[in-house]
Amino acid sequence: MEALTFLIILGAGWLLWRRPEREAWAYGLLIVAFVLMVLLFLVGTHTSFVPRVNL
Amino acid sequence: MSVSEGRLRTLMAALAVVLLVVPVGGALWLGVAEGESPCILCWAQRTSMLLIALVALFVVRYGPRPRYVGMLVLLGAWGTFMAIRHSSLHVARDVGQGFALSIMGAHTYTWAWVVHWIVLMAGGALLLLVKGPLAGGEVKKDPGGLGRFAMGLLVVLTAANALQAFISTGPPPYIGQADPVRLSLDPARWVWSTGELDGALSWRGSWSIPEPDASAVNPDPADGPLAALVTLAPIRWESVTSEVEGALTGFAWVDAMGGGAGSNGRALVTTDHHGVYVLDGSLSQVLHHVALDPAFSVHLTELAGAAFLGPDTLAVTSTNKSYVLLRPDPDADAGLEWRHFLESDGTVSELRRSRFSTVRARMMYVSSLAYDAAARELITVTVPSPQHQQLVVSRFDRTDFVLSSEFEVRPGPGLALAGPERSLGEY
Repeated sequence: MEALTFLIILGAGWLLWRRPEREAWAYGLLIVAFVLMVLLFLVGTHTSFVPRVNL
Repeated sequence: MSVSEGRLRTLMAALAVVLLVVPVGGALWLGVAEGESPCILCWAQRTSMLLIALVALFVVRYGPRPRYVGMLVLLGAWGTFMAIRHSSLHVARDVGQGFALSIMGAHTYTWAWVVHWIVLMAGGALLLLVKGPLAGGEVKKDPGGLGRFAMGLLVVLTAANALQAFISTGPPPYIGQADPVRLSLDPARWVWSTGELDGALSWRGSWSIPEPDASAVNPDPADGPLAALVTLAPIRWESVTSEVEGALTGFAWVDAMGGGAGSNGRALVTTDHHGVYVLDGSLSQVLHHVALDPAFSVHLTELAGAAFLGPDTLAVTSTNKSYVLLRPDPDADAGLEWRHFLESDGTVSELRRSRFSTVRARMMYVSSLAYDAAARELITVTVPSPQHQQLVVSRFDRTDFVLSSEFEVRPGPGLALAGPERSLGEY
């Protein structure tokens, strides 16, 4: 799944570099990659969302 | 001093290059040269750095639109949280212990903390210096030589990361792992897993320990985990007839003249109102009394145990293994002691307030306190919880109050559990 996230970022970077008129697409891909990253981190910390310390 | 939009875009291109070359490129190099594979949390942190570089390049291409600035703040804040959350798994370990490689004495996930913090600081500083409103333009701007280089670098490095991620974590639905194996180009050594998807979600996770509740305990020994217990007959019953506020939560006895209660001994009792009382030998008269302020300095949950460390040194502990040392003191300084006590009869001084640290009993509450005068050690016993079904005895040196020994209680000779599913952890 991490590879997919990087491919999405790659797509956004490519649009920014070579197709700058597609700003909306590039920004949309940025948002999708951000959401995917957040979800993957939350999966990785499934034992607790907050740091492993006393609150 | 102020920065024009053109200068800002150049600065953002430079920052993107630094971000791409140092942490992202460095992490990639660690994978290729050292074989180090990121864990699932490291992948998210590396992704965050790439996204920050991407946002910087959006600014380079289109100018500082508010939504780019908003995304930069979001990424900086979330990345800082991720780094703290990740580091918290290891920061309390012993010297040099951590996860995978370290750089300049700090492990890699710690550096993600530094990077995201710098991003937030640098972003804030640049915003302070920007002239005019944050607008950006609808028309795409020429990114300049440095901007074009940064964009090409981002594409190359992202492609390389995608390749490494594919080797290390596989295609969807496979995801990163908690303990990834080192990078190899030999497909026979690739490990693709969905193991991290297992397990329930929980806000506090293993750190949500319910506080002990004695009212929920069945006091009948016949229902306990030990089989065929000998019944001990009470010699006599004593009653606390002095005016003590609240329910008793701890009791200790010091034998001044020999003999039991009713002699010239003294009793130390604690109550569920954080009250500490020294009673006379007949348990009918209060000799000294204070109510501890549970929120002053070291937090005290409900008091759970009491012990005499000597004729004039009193120890009480709360269920969260915080402890307080007190001394009967007719000359107690009322002004000084006001911070310690919610109530006081003016004859008690506080000597020390701190916490016991344990290993086996960590994340377990305790229910009692005792003092072994021969060994000069204080003793606590844990309360089991849904997360920790254990009965752990911890002993602390009287001199420095540091853990001396600790063990899990098991049935000795002549004792047997009432069934294979029973455990002393039920106590």
